[in-house]
Amino acid sequence: MPPIIQIQNLTKKFGNLAAVDHLDLEIEEGEIFGLLGPNGAGKTTAILMLATVIKPTEGTALVGGFDIRKSPDKVRGLLGIAFQEPKMLWVATPWDVVNWHAKVCGLSTEERKRRVKQVLETVDMWEPRHKNVHALSGGMRKRVEMAKVLIQRPKIAIVDEPTTQIDVVGKHKIWNMLLELRDEGSTIILATNELYEADRLSDRVGIMHRGKLLVCDTPKTLKDSILGGDIIDIQLEKDASPTIVEELKSFKEVVDIMQVKPTNLRLYLNRVEEVVPQIMNLLMKKNVPVNSIRMSEPSLDDVFAHYTGLTIEEAQKDEG
Amino acid sequence: MRAIWFVSQIALFGLIASRMMSIPNYFQYYVAGLSVMTLYSAAIFIGFDIYEEAEHGVFEYLLSLPVSRKQLVLGRSIGGGLRAFIYVGPLIALSLYVIGATNPLSFLVALFALFLFSFGVSGMSITIAVIIKSSDRFDILMGVLDALIVRLSTAMYPLAVVQAANPLYGGLASFNPVTYAADLFRWGTGIEAIITLSNPLWPLLGIIAFFAFFTFFGVIIYDRRIEGGGWQ
Ligand SMILES: Nc1ncnc2c1ncn2[C@@H]1O[C@H](COP(=O)(O)OP(=O)(O)OP(=O)(O)O)[C@@H](O)[C@H]1O
Ligand SMILES: [Mg+2]
Repeated sequence: MPPIIQIQNLTKKFGNLAAVDHLDLEIEEGEIFGLLGPNGAGKTTAILMLATVIKPTEGTALVGGFDIRKSPDKVRGLLGIAFQEPKMLWVATPWDVVNWHAKVCGLSTEERKRRVKQVLETVDMWEPRHKNVHALSGGMRKRVEMAKVLIQRPKIAIVDEPTTQIDVVGKHKIWNMLLELRDEGSTIILATNELYEADRLSDRVGIMHRGKLLVCDTPKTLKDSILGGDIIDIQLEKDASPTIVEELKSFKEVVDIMQVKPTNLRLYLNRVEEVVPQIMNLLMKKNVPVNSIRMSEPSLDDVFAHYTGLTIEEAQKDEG
Repeated sequence: MRAIWFVSQIALFGLIASRMMSIPNYFQYYVAGLSVMTLYSAAIFIGFDIYEEAEHGVFEYLLSLPVSRKQLVLGRSIGGGLRAFIYVGPLIALSLYVIGATNPLSFLVALFALFLFSFGVSGMSITIAVIIKSSDRFDILMGVLDALIVRLSTAMYPLAVVQAANPLYGGLASFNPVTYAADLFRWGTGIEAIITLSNPLWPLLGIIAFFAFFTFFGVIIYDRRIEGGGWQ
Protein backbone atom coordinates (compact mmCIF):
# COMPACT_ATOMS: atom_id res chain seq x y z
CA MET A 1 0.00 0.00 0.00
CA PRO A 2 1.42 3.42 -0.85
CA PRO A 3 1.84 5.79 2.09
CA ILE A 4 -1.36 7.67 2.87
CA ILE A 5 0.55 10.93 3.12
CA GLN A 6 3.53 11.77 0.94
CA ILE A 7 5.14 15.09 1.72
CA GLN A 8 7.48 16.26 -0.98
CA ASN A 9 9.85 19.15 -0.61
CA LEU A 10 7.22 21.01 1.37
CA THR A 11 8.29 24.54 2.27
CA LYS A 12 6.63 27.53 3.87
CA LYS A 13 8.35 30.84 4.21
CA PHE A 14 7.16 33.73 6.31
CA GLY A 15 9.29 36.54 4.97
CA ASN A 16 12.84 35.29 5.29
CA LEU A 17 12.04 32.63 7.81
CA ALA A 18 11.58 29.13 6.45
CA ALA A 19 9.12 27.82 9.02
CA VAL A 20 9.03 24.51 7.14
CA ASP A 21 12.13 23.91 5.09
CA HIS A 22 12.04 21.39 2.23
CA LEU A 23 10.32 18.70 4.20
CA ASP A 24 10.14 15.16 2.82
CA LEU A 25 8.15 12.64 4.76
CA GLU A 26 5.88 9.64 4.27
CA ILE A 27 3.18 8.56 6.65
CA GLU A 28 1.72 5.08 6.48
CA GLU A 29 -1.96 4.30 6.66
CA GLY A 30 -3.13 3.32 10.13
CA GLU A 31 -0.15 4.54 12.10
CA ILE A 32 0.21 7.16 14.78
CA PHE A 33 2.95 9.39 13.52
CA GLY A 34 4.52 11.56 16.19
CA LEU A 35 5.81 14.86 14.92
CA LEU A 36 8.16 15.90 17.64
CA GLY A 37 9.98 19.16 17.94
CA PRO A 38 10.62 22.14 20.19
CA ASN A 39 8.60 25.38 20.00
CA GLY A 40 8.94 27.00 16.63
CA ALA A 41 10.14 23.82 14.90
CA GLY A 42 7.46 24.18 12.25
CA LYS A 43 5.05 21.44 13.31
CA THR A 44 1.91 23.55 13.23
CA THR A 45 2.89 25.20 9.98
CA ALA A 46 3.43 21.79 8.35
CA ILE A 47 0.08 20.61 9.65
CA LEU A 48 -1.77 23.68 8.43
CA MET A 49 -0.36 23.11 4.96
CA LEU A 50 -1.52 19.49 4.99
CA ALA A 51 -4.95 20.68 6.08
CA THR A 52 -4.95 23.14 3.11
CA VAL A 53 -5.47 26.01 5.52
CA ILE A 54 -2.29 27.74 4.37
CA LYS A 55 -0.58 27.36 1.03
CA PRO A 56 2.96 26.05 0.59
CA THR A 57 5.63 28.37 -0.75
CA GLU A 58 7.21 25.41 -2.47
CA GLY A 59 6.69 21.68 -2.77
CA THR A 60 3.52 19.80 -2.09
CA ALA A 61 2.01 16.75 -0.44
CA LEU A 62 -0.27 13.95 -1.51
CA VAL A 63 -2.93 13.12 1.03
CA GLY A 64 -4.83 9.95 0.27
CA GLY A 65 -3.54 10.32 -3.27
CA PHE A 66 -4.82 13.89 -3.64
CA ASP A 67 -2.48 16.80 -4.15
CA ILE A 68 -2.99 19.49 -1.51
CA ARG A 69 -2.46 22.17 -4.14
CA LYS A 70 -4.62 20.72 -6.89
CA SER A 71 -7.45 19.03 -5.02
CA PRO A 72 -7.72 20.76 -1.64
CA ASP A 73 -11.44 19.97 -1.39
CA LYS A 74 -10.74 16.24 -1.69
CA VAL A 75 -7.96 16.48 0.88
CA ARG A 76 -10.15 18.25 3.41
CA GLY A 77 -12.73 15.54 2.99
CA LEU A 78 -10.27 13.06 4.49
CA LEU A 79 -9.00 15.18 7.35
CA GLY A 80 -10.06 16.14 10.79
CA ILE A 81 -7.93 18.44 12.87
CA ALA A 82 -7.76 19.39 16.53
CA PHE A 83 -5.94 22.71 16.62
CA GLN A 84 -3.24 23.67 19.03
CA GLU A 85 -5.17 26.82 19.89
CA PRO A 86 -8.78 25.75 20.12
CA LYS A 87 -10.86 27.44 17.46
CA MET A 88 -14.29 28.19 18.78
CA LEU A 89 -17.14 29.95 17.16
CA TRP A 90 -17.39 32.92 19.43
CA VAL A 91 -20.96 32.58 20.52
CA ALA A 92 -21.33 29.01 21.50
CA THR A 93 -21.29 26.34 24.12
CA PRO A 94 -19.32 23.06 23.94
CA TRP A 95 -22.48 21.36 22.81
CA ASP A 96 -22.99 23.86 19.96
CA VAL A 97 -19.39 23.61 18.88
CA VAL A 98 -19.36 19.83 18.65
CA ASN A 99 -22.85 19.59 17.20
CA TRP A 100 -22.12 22.20 14.54
CA HIS A 101 -18.91 20.46 13.62
CA ALA A 102 -20.68 17.12 13.30
CA LYS A 103 -23.34 18.74 11.14
CA VAL A 104 -20.79 20.22 8.76
CA CYS A 105 -19.06 16.84 8.61
CA GLY A 106 -22.33 15.34 7.43
CA LEU A 107 -23.62 13.37 10.42
CA SER A 108 -27.37 12.85 10.39
CA THR A 109 -29.55 14.49 13.05
CA GLU A 110 -30.25 11.14 14.69
CA GLU A 111 -26.63 10.14 14.86
CA ARG A 112 -25.57 13.56 16.00
CA LYS A 113 -27.86 13.56 18.97
CA ARG A 114 -26.44 10.29 20.18
CA ARG A 115 -22.79 10.87 19.36
CA VAL A 116 -22.52 14.44 20.66
CA LYS A 117 -23.52 13.19 24.07
CA GLN A 118 -21.25 10.19 23.86
CA VAL A 119 -18.23 12.18 22.74
CA LEU A 120 -18.73 14.99 25.24
CA GLU A 121 -18.96 12.40 27.98
CA THR A 122 -15.74 10.79 26.81
CA VAL A 123 -13.85 14.05 27.16
CA ASP A 124 -15.63 14.89 30.44
CA MET A 125 -17.38 17.88 28.97
CA TRP A 126 -20.98 16.73 29.17
CA GLU A 127 -21.71 18.45 32.42
CA PRO A 128 -20.46 21.92 31.37
CA ARG A 129 -21.93 21.49 27.87
CA HIS A 130 -24.10 24.58 28.15
CA LYS A 131 -21.43 26.90 29.49
CA ASN A 132 -20.23 29.65 27.20
CA VAL A 133 -16.88 28.66 25.69
CA HIS A 134 -15.38 31.87 27.02
CA ALA A 135 -16.10 30.67 30.52
CA LEU A 136 -14.12 27.46 29.98
CA SER A 137 -10.59 26.87 31.19
CA GLY A 138 -7.78 26.29 28.71
CA GLY A 139 -7.78 22.57 29.37
CA MET A 140 -11.54 22.36 28.91
CA ARG A 141 -11.28 24.09 25.58
CA LYS A 142 -8.64 21.61 24.48
CA ARG A 143 -11.04 18.83 25.40
CA VAL A 144 -13.78 20.33 23.28
CA GLU A 145 -11.29 20.66 20.45
CA MET A 146 -10.48 16.98 20.78
CA ALA A 147 -14.17 16.12 20.82
CA LYS A 148 -14.50 17.54 17.31
CA VAL A 149 -12.05 15.00 15.93
CA LEU A 150 -13.59 12.19 17.93
CA ILE A 151 -17.06 12.85 16.58
CA GLN A 152 -15.80 13.21 13.05
CA ARG A 153 -13.74 10.00 13.06
CA PRO A 154 -11.80 11.17 10.03
CA LYS A 155 -9.67 8.92 7.90
CA ILE A 156 -6.71 11.06 8.86
CA ALA A 157 -6.79 12.78 12.23
CA ILE A 158 -4.34 15.56 12.96
CA VAL A 159 -3.94 16.53 16.58
CA ASP A 160 -1.69 19.44 17.47
CA GLU A 161 -0.39 19.17 21.02
CA PRO A 162 -3.65 17.59 22.19
CA THR A 163 -2.79 17.30 25.86
CA THR A 164 -1.12 20.59 26.71
CA GLN A 165 -2.99 22.26 29.55
CA ILE A 166 -4.78 19.01 30.33
CA ASP A 167 -4.38 17.33 33.70
CA VAL A 168 -2.73 13.95 34.15
CA VAL A 169 -5.93 11.93 34.27
CA GLY A 170 -7.20 13.77 31.22
CA LYS A 171 -3.95 13.14 29.37
CA HIS A 172 -4.24 9.40 29.83
CA LYS A 173 -7.83 9.49 28.66
CA ILE A 174 -6.91 11.37 25.52
CA TRP A 175 -4.02 9.04 24.82
CA ASN A 176 -6.36 6.10 25.06
CA MET A 177 -8.81 7.81 22.74
CA LEU A 178 -6.10 8.35 20.19
CA LEU A 179 -5.05 4.71 20.39
CA GLU A 180 -8.68 3.66 19.96
CA LEU A 181 -9.09 5.97 17.01
CA ARG A 182 -6.07 4.39 15.38
CA ASP A 183 -7.35 0.90 16.12
CA GLU A 184 -10.60 1.82 14.41
CA GLY A 185 -8.55 2.54 11.30
CA SER A 186 -7.67 6.24 11.37
CA THR A 187 -4.21 7.46 10.60
CA ILE A 188 -3.06 9.95 13.20
CA ILE A 189 -0.53 12.73 13.09
CA LEU A 190 0.36 13.78 16.59
CA ALA A 191 2.35 16.99 16.86
CA THR A 192 3.92 17.38 20.25
CA ASN A 193 6.89 18.66 22.15
CA GLU A 194 6.40 16.16 24.92
CA LEU A 195 8.88 13.38 24.52
CA TYR A 196 7.02 11.00 26.75
CA GLU A 197 3.80 11.47 24.81
CA ALA A 198 5.50 10.91 21.47
CA ASP A 199 7.30 7.86 22.76
CA ARG A 200 4.28 6.31 24.34
CA LEU A 201 1.82 6.74 21.50
CA SER A 202 3.72 6.86 18.25
CA ASP A 203 4.32 3.98 15.93
CA ARG A 204 6.90 6.19 14.30
CA VAL A 205 8.39 9.51 15.28
CA GLY A 206 9.81 12.28 13.15
CA ILE A 207 11.93 14.85 14.89
CA MET A 208 11.69 18.37 13.51
CA HIS A 209 14.02 21.21 14.26
CA ARG A 210 14.05 24.60 12.55
CA GLY A 211 11.73 23.50 9.79
CA LYS A 212 13.71 20.42 8.91
CA LEU A 213 13.19 16.76 9.62
CA LEU A 214 16.22 15.41 11.46
CA VAL A 215 15.30 11.72 11.72
CA CYS A 216 12.29 9.54 11.38
CA ASP A 217 11.80 6.00 12.66
CA THR A 218 10.13 3.92 15.36
CA PRO A 219 10.82 5.25 18.85
CA LYS A 220 12.65 2.01 19.64
CA THR A 221 14.94 2.14 16.64
CA LEU A 222 15.69 5.78 17.33
CA LYS A 223 16.59 5.07 20.91
CA ASP A 224 18.61 1.99 20.03
CA SER A 225 20.46 3.92 17.38
CA ILE A 226 22.15 6.21 19.81
CA LEU A 227 25.18 5.33 21.86
CA GLY A 228 25.10 2.11 23.78
CA GLY A 229 21.37 1.83 24.04
CA ASP A 230 21.24 1.64 27.86
CA ILE A 231 21.86 4.25 30.49
CA ILE A 232 22.71 4.00 34.17
CA ASP A 233 22.89 6.87 36.58
CA ILE A 234 25.23 6.35 39.52
CA GLN A 235 25.16 8.68 42.47
CA LEU A 236 28.27 8.53 44.66
CA GLU A 237 28.63 9.67 48.21
CA LYS A 238 31.71 11.74 47.37
CA ASP A 239 32.92 13.40 44.20
CA ALA A 240 34.03 10.94 41.56
CA SER A 241 37.77 10.96 41.03
CA PRO A 242 39.19 11.08 37.51
CA THR A 243 40.79 7.69 38.02
CA ILE A 244 37.47 6.07 38.82
CA VAL A 245 35.95 7.63 35.72
CA GLU A 246 38.87 6.30 33.65
CA GLU A 247 38.49 2.82 35.12
CA LEU A 248 34.78 2.80 34.36
CA LYS A 249 35.54 3.91 30.82
CA SER A 250 37.82 0.94 30.37
CA PHE A 251 34.86 -1.46 30.28
CA LYS A 252 34.40 -2.24 26.65
CA GLU A 253 30.60 -2.12 26.99
CA VAL A 254 30.71 1.45 28.28
CA VAL A 255 30.41 3.80 25.35
CA ASP A 256 30.46 7.12 27.10
CA ILE A 257 30.37 8.71 30.53
CA MET A 258 28.90 12.07 31.38
CA GLN A 259 29.70 13.60 34.75
CA VAL A 260 26.37 15.29 35.30
CA LYS A 261 27.38 16.58 38.73
CA PRO A 262 30.66 15.98 40.65
CA THR A 263 28.94 13.09 42.42
CA ASN A 264 26.70 11.93 39.59
CA LEU A 265 27.79 9.86 36.64
CA ARG A 266 25.69 8.94 33.65
CA LEU A 267 26.98 5.92 31.76
CA TYR A 268 25.89 5.09 28.21
CA LEU A 269 26.53 1.41 27.71
CA ASN A 270 25.58 -1.93 26.17
CA ARG A 271 24.53 -5.21 27.82
CA VAL A 272 23.68 -3.48 31.02
CA GLU A 273 22.64 -6.69 32.86
CA GLU A 274 26.17 -8.08 32.61
CA VAL A 275 28.10 -4.92 33.27
CA VAL A 276 26.31 -3.54 36.29
CA PRO A 277 27.49 -6.29 38.68
CA GLN A 278 31.06 -5.81 37.46
CA ILE A 279 30.81 -2.07 37.99
CA MET A 280 29.45 -2.58 41.48
CA ASN A 281 32.32 -4.92 42.27
CA LEU A 282 34.87 -2.44 41.01
CA LEU A 283 33.43 0.41 43.08
CA MET A 284 33.36 -1.77 46.20
CA LYS A 285 36.91 -2.90 45.68
CA LYS A 286 38.06 0.72 45.26
CA ASN A 287 36.14 1.69 48.34
CA VAL A 288 33.89 4.19 46.58
CA PRO A 289 30.59 4.32 48.46
CA VAL A 290 27.52 4.42 46.22
CA ASN A 291 24.33 6.20 47.26
CA SER A 292 22.17 4.94 44.45
CA ILE A 293 22.30 3.34 41.10
CA ARG A 294 19.49 3.66 38.65
CA MET A 295 19.05 2.12 35.30
CA SER A 296 17.19 4.04 32.65
CA GLU A 297 16.42 3.57 29.03
CA PRO A 298 17.42 6.28 26.65
CA SER A 299 14.51 8.62 26.06
CA LEU A 300 13.65 10.56 22.97
CA ASP A 301 15.29 13.45 24.75
CA ASP A 302 18.57 11.62 24.35
CA VAL A 303 17.71 11.05 20.71
CA PHE A 304 16.93 14.71 20.26
CA ALA A 305 20.14 15.70 22.02
CA HIS A 306 22.06 13.27 19.89
CA TYR A 307 20.86 14.83 16.66
CA THR A 308 20.85 18.49 17.63
CA GLY A 309 23.46 18.67 20.37
CA LEU A 310 20.78 20.34 22.49
CA THR A 311 18.30 19.09 25.01
CA ILE A 312 14.76 19.88 23.99
CA GLU A 313 14.57 22.49 26.77
CA GLU A 314 17.66 24.21 25.43
CA ALA A 315 16.20 24.14 21.95
CA GLN A 316 12.98 25.73 23.21
CA LYS A 317 14.94 28.52 24.89
CA ASP A 318 16.94 28.91 21.73
CA GLU A 319 13.79 29.67 19.77
CA GLY A 320 12.30 31.89 22.45
CA MET B 1 -32.74 50.08 17.84
CA ARG B 2 -33.08 49.50 14.16
CA ALA B 3 -36.81 49.14 14.53
CA ILE B 4 -37.08 52.43 16.39
CA TRP B 5 -34.97 54.10 13.76
CA PHE B 6 -37.13 52.60 11.05
CA VAL B 7 -40.39 53.70 12.58
CA SER B 8 -39.09 57.19 13.29
CA GLN B 9 -37.84 57.42 9.71
CA ILE B 10 -41.27 56.50 8.46
CA ALA B 11 -43.01 58.84 10.83
CA LEU B 12 -40.80 61.86 10.37
CA PHE B 13 -38.96 61.87 7.12
CA GLY B 14 -41.50 59.85 5.19
CA LEU B 15 -44.40 62.05 6.11
CA ILE B 16 -42.53 65.29 5.67
CA ALA B 17 -40.98 64.30 2.39
CA SER B 18 -44.23 63.01 1.04
CA ARG B 19 -45.59 66.52 1.38
CA MET B 20 -42.64 68.00 -0.43
CA MET B 21 -42.42 65.48 -3.25
CA SER B 22 -44.88 66.04 -5.99
CA ILE B 23 -45.34 62.32 -6.50
CA PRO B 24 -48.53 60.51 -5.77
CA ASN B 25 -48.26 57.88 -3.04
CA TYR B 26 -44.76 58.97 -2.14
CA PHE B 27 -45.24 57.74 1.40
CA GLN B 28 -45.77 54.17 0.19
CA TYR B 29 -42.94 54.57 -2.22
CA TYR B 30 -40.66 55.67 0.57
CA VAL B 31 -41.64 52.90 2.95
CA ALA B 32 -40.77 50.28 0.31
CA GLY B 33 -37.42 51.95 -0.30
CA LEU B 34 -36.70 52.15 3.38
CA SER B 35 -37.25 48.41 3.75
CA VAL B 36 -34.65 47.74 1.09
CA MET B 37 -32.23 50.21 2.66
CA THR B 38 -32.59 48.57 6.02
CA LEU B 39 -32.14 45.15 4.50
CA TYR B 40 -28.98 46.42 2.84
CA SER B 41 -27.41 47.68 6.03
CA ALA B 42 -28.38 44.54 7.94
CA ALA B 43 -26.83 42.29 5.29
CA ILE B 44 -23.62 44.33 5.32
CA PHE B 45 -23.15 43.28 8.91
CA ILE B 46 -21.63 39.92 8.03
CA GLY B 47 -18.42 41.74 7.09
CA PHE B 48 -17.94 42.75 10.71
CA ASP B 49 -18.32 39.11 11.68
CA ILE B 50 -15.36 38.31 9.48
CA TYR B 51 -13.20 40.58 11.60
CA GLU B 52 -14.50 39.00 14.72
CA GLU B 53 -13.60 35.60 13.31
CA ALA B 54 -10.12 36.77 12.41
CA GLU B 55 -9.69 38.00 15.95
CA HIS B 56 -10.85 34.73 17.46
CA GLY B 57 -8.83 32.65 15.01
CA VAL B 58 -11.89 30.91 13.67
CA PHE B 59 -10.71 31.20 10.07
CA GLU B 60 -8.28 28.36 10.28
CA TYR B 61 -11.03 26.22 11.63
CA LEU B 62 -13.48 27.17 8.91
CA LEU B 63 -10.84 26.69 6.24
CA SER B 64 -10.05 23.19 7.50
CA LEU B 65 -13.64 21.97 7.33
CA PRO B 66 -14.53 19.28 4.82
CA VAL B 67 -16.40 21.68 2.56
CA SER B 68 -15.26 23.44 -0.59
CA ARG B 69 -14.39 27.12 -0.55
CA LYS B 70 -17.42 27.71 -2.74
CA GLN B 71 -19.72 26.07 -0.23
CA LEU B 72 -18.03 27.96 2.55
CA VAL B 73 -18.45 31.40 0.99
CA LEU B 74 -21.93 30.62 -0.29
CA GLY B 75 -22.85 29.34 3.14
CA ARG B 76 -21.56 32.49 4.74
CA SER B 77 -23.28 34.88 2.37
CA ILE B 78 -26.56 32.98 2.49
CA GLY B 79 -26.28 32.77 6.26
CA GLY B 80 -25.62 36.50 6.50
CA GLY B 81 -28.39 37.24 4.04
CA LEU B 82 -30.90 35.09 5.88
CA ARG B 83 -29.99 36.64 9.16
CA ALA B 84 -30.55 40.08 7.67
CA PHE B 85 -33.87 38.92 6.33
CA ILE B 86 -35.01 37.57 9.66
CA TYR B 87 -33.85 40.79 11.25
CA VAL B 88 -35.64 43.03 8.82
CA GLY B 89 -38.59 40.65 8.33
CA PRO B 90 -40.91 42.44 10.77
CA LEU B 91 -40.14 45.76 9.10
CA ILE B 92 -40.90 44.32 5.69
CA ALA B 93 -44.16 42.99 7.07
CA LEU B 94 -44.90 46.45 8.42
CA SER B 95 -44.25 48.08 5.09
CA LEU B 96 -46.44 45.49 3.40
CA TYR B 97 -49.18 46.49 5.78
CA VAL B 98 -48.63 50.14 4.98
CA ILE B 99 -48.51 49.52 1.25
CA GLY B 100 -51.04 46.71 1.00
CA ALA B 101 -49.72 44.14 -1.47
CA THR B 102 -52.07 43.16 -4.25
CA ASN B 103 -50.79 40.42 -6.53
CA PRO B 104 -49.41 37.42 -4.63
CA LEU B 105 -47.41 36.05 -7.53
CA SER B 106 -45.49 39.22 -8.30
CA PHE B 107 -45.07 39.66 -4.60
CA LEU B 108 -43.38 36.26 -4.35
CA VAL B 109 -41.08 37.14 -7.23
CA ALA B 110 -40.17 40.36 -5.46
CA LEU B 111 -39.55 38.54 -2.22
CA PHE B 112 -37.29 36.11 -4.02
CA ALA B 113 -35.43 39.05 -5.48
CA LEU B 114 -35.04 40.56 -2.03
CA PHE B 115 -33.58 37.27 -0.82
CA LEU B 116 -31.03 37.25 -3.61
CA PHE B 117 -30.30 40.90 -2.97
CA SER B 118 -29.68 40.20 0.67
CA PHE B 119 -27.34 37.25 -0.11
CA GLY B 120 -25.57 39.35 -2.70
CA VAL B 121 -24.99 42.21 -0.26
CA SER B 122 -23.63 39.71 2.27
CA GLY B 123 -21.32 38.27 -0.36
CA MET B 124 -20.17 41.78 -1.25
CA SER B 125 -19.55 42.57 2.38
CA ILE B 126 -17.49 39.41 2.89
CA THR B 127 -15.50 40.09 -0.25
CA ILE B 128 -14.70 43.65 0.74
CA ALA B 129 -13.89 42.61 4.30
CA VAL B 130 -11.29 40.07 3.22
CA ILE B 131 -9.79 42.50 0.73
CA ILE B 132 -9.46 45.32 3.26
CA LYS B 133 -8.46 43.28 6.31
CA SER B 134 -8.85 46.25 8.63
CA SER B 135 -12.04 46.65 10.59
CA ASP B 136 -11.55 50.40 10.97
CA ARG B 137 -11.11 51.01 7.30
CA PHE B 138 -13.94 48.61 6.56
CA ASP B 139 -16.18 50.57 8.87
CA ILE B 140 -15.41 53.83 7.10
CA LEU B 141 -15.69 52.38 3.63
CA MET B 142 -19.02 50.80 4.45
CA GLY B 143 -20.25 54.18 5.67
CA VAL B 144 -19.21 55.81 2.40
CA LEU B 145 -20.57 52.97 0.32
CA ASP B 146 -23.83 53.05 2.21
CA ALA B 147 -24.19 56.77 1.54
CA LEU B 148 -23.38 56.42 -2.15
CA ILE B 149 -25.19 53.25 -2.99
CA VAL B 150 -28.34 54.27 -1.20
CA ARG B 151 -28.37 57.90 -2.34
CA LEU B 152 -27.66 56.95 -5.93
CA SER B 153 -30.56 54.57 -6.10
CA THR B 154 -34.29 54.68 -6.33
CA ALA B 155 -34.65 53.79 -2.67
CA MET B 156 -35.76 57.28 -1.71
CA TYR B 157 -36.78 58.96 -4.96
CA PRO B 158 -37.70 57.81 -8.44
CA LEU B 159 -35.08 57.48 -11.12
CA ALA B 160 -36.50 60.48 -12.95
CA VAL B 161 -35.72 62.67 -9.95
CA VAL B 162 -32.14 61.40 -9.76
CA GLN B 163 -31.79 61.78 -13.49
CA ALA B 164 -33.05 65.34 -13.35
CA ALA B 165 -30.55 66.22 -10.63
CA ASN B 166 -27.59 64.94 -12.64
CA PRO B 167 -27.55 62.59 -15.63
CA LEU B 168 -24.43 60.88 -14.30
CA TYR B 169 -26.15 60.13 -11.02
CA GLY B 170 -29.09 58.83 -12.96
CA GLY B 171 -26.82 56.56 -14.94
CA LEU B 172 -25.22 55.20 -11.80
CA ALA B 173 -28.56 54.77 -10.11
CA SER B 174 -29.86 52.65 -12.94
CA PHE B 175 -26.96 50.22 -12.42
CA ASN B 176 -27.40 49.82 -8.73
CA PRO B 177 -28.60 46.67 -6.96
CA VAL B 178 -30.41 48.79 -4.41
CA THR B 179 -32.39 50.30 -7.30
CA TYR B 180 -33.19 46.84 -8.63
CA ALA B 181 -34.31 45.60 -5.24
CA ALA B 182 -36.37 48.68 -4.46
CA ASP B 183 -38.02 48.71 -7.88
CA LEU B 184 -38.84 45.02 -7.70
CA PHE B 185 -40.21 45.32 -4.23
CA ARG B 186 -42.48 48.13 -5.37
CA TRP B 187 -43.46 46.21 -8.43
CA GLY B 188 -44.21 43.15 -6.34
CA THR B 189 -46.32 45.08 -3.91
CA GLY B 190 -48.26 46.72 -6.68
CA ILE B 191 -47.12 50.33 -6.48
CA GLU B 192 -45.15 50.20 -9.66
CA ALA B 193 -47.52 52.59 -11.32
CA ILE B 194 -45.65 55.49 -9.80
CA ILE B 195 -42.23 54.36 -10.96
CA THR B 196 -43.12 53.26 -14.46
CA LEU B 197 -41.30 49.95 -14.23
CA SER B 198 -42.10 48.51 -17.62
CA ASN B 199 -40.30 45.20 -17.34
CA PRO B 200 -39.46 43.57 -14.01
CA LEU B 201 -37.14 41.16 -15.80
CA TRP B 202 -34.27 43.64 -16.00
CA PRO B 203 -33.95 44.43 -12.33
CA LEU B 204 -34.45 40.73 -11.61
CA LEU B 205 -31.59 39.84 -13.92
CA GLY B 206 -29.57 42.66 -12.38
CA ILE B 207 -30.03 41.22 -8.93
CA ILE B 208 -29.19 37.71 -10.08
CA ALA B 209 -26.04 39.05 -11.72
CA PHE B 210 -25.15 40.98 -8.57
CA PHE B 211 -25.59 37.91 -6.42
CA ALA B 212 -23.73 35.64 -8.84
CA PHE B 213 -20.84 38.05 -9.21
CA PHE B 214 -20.15 38.43 -5.52
CA THR B 215 -20.54 34.76 -4.87
CA PHE B 216 -18.14 33.83 -7.63
CA PHE B 217 -15.75 36.70 -7.02
CA GLY B 218 -16.09 36.21 -3.28
CA VAL B 219 -14.88 32.62 -3.52
CA ILE B 220 -11.77 33.62 -5.45
CA ILE B 221 -10.97 36.58 -3.23
CA TYR B 222 -11.69 34.69 -0.03
CA ASP B 223 -9.40 31.88 -1.07
CA ARG B 224 -6.60 34.28 -1.99
CA ARG B 225 -6.82 36.74 0.81
CA ILE B 226 -7.86 34.89 3.89
CA GLU B 227 -4.52 33.29 4.62
CA GLY B 228 -1.57 34.88 6.27
CA GLY B 229 -2.64 37.33 8.91
CA GLY B 230 -2.39 41.10 8.56
CA TRP B 231 -5.84 41.48 10.09
CA GLN B 232 -6.46 44.60 12.10
N1 LIG C 1 1.55 33.36 10.35
C1 LIG C 1 2.85 33.45 10.63
N2 LIG C 1 3.56 34.53 10.27
C2 LIG C 1 4.86 34.63 10.52
N3 LIG C 1 5.60 33.67 11.12
C3 LIG C 1 4.98 32.55 11.51
C4 LIG C 1 3.57 32.37 11.28
N4 LIG C 1 3.23 31.16 11.76
C5 LIG C 1 4.36 30.61 12.26
N5 LIG C 1 5.41 31.44 12.11
C6 LIG C 1 6.80 31.15 12.52
O1 LIG C 1 7.16 29.91 11.96
C7 LIG C 1 7.93 29.16 12.86
C8 LIG C 1 7.30 27.81 13.08
O2 LIG C 1 6.12 27.98 13.81
P1 LIG C 1 5.15 26.78 14.16
O3 LIG C 1 3.96 27.35 14.81
O4 LIG C 1 4.93 25.95 12.95
O5 LIG C 1 6.01 25.96 15.21
P2 LIG C 1 5.59 24.73 16.10
O6 LIG C 1 6.55 23.65 15.84
O7 LIG C 1 4.16 24.41 15.92
O8 LIG C 1 5.84 25.31 17.58
P3 LIG C 1 5.01 25.10 18.94
O9 LIG C 1 5.54 23.88 19.58
O10 LIG C 1 5.35 26.32 19.73
O11 LIG C 1 3.58 25.02 18.58
C9 LIG C 1 8.06 29.99 14.12
O12 LIG C 1 9.31 30.63 14.10
C10 LIG C 1 6.94 30.98 14.01
O13 LIG C 1 7.28 32.18 14.63
MG1 LIG D 1 2.57 24.40 17.10
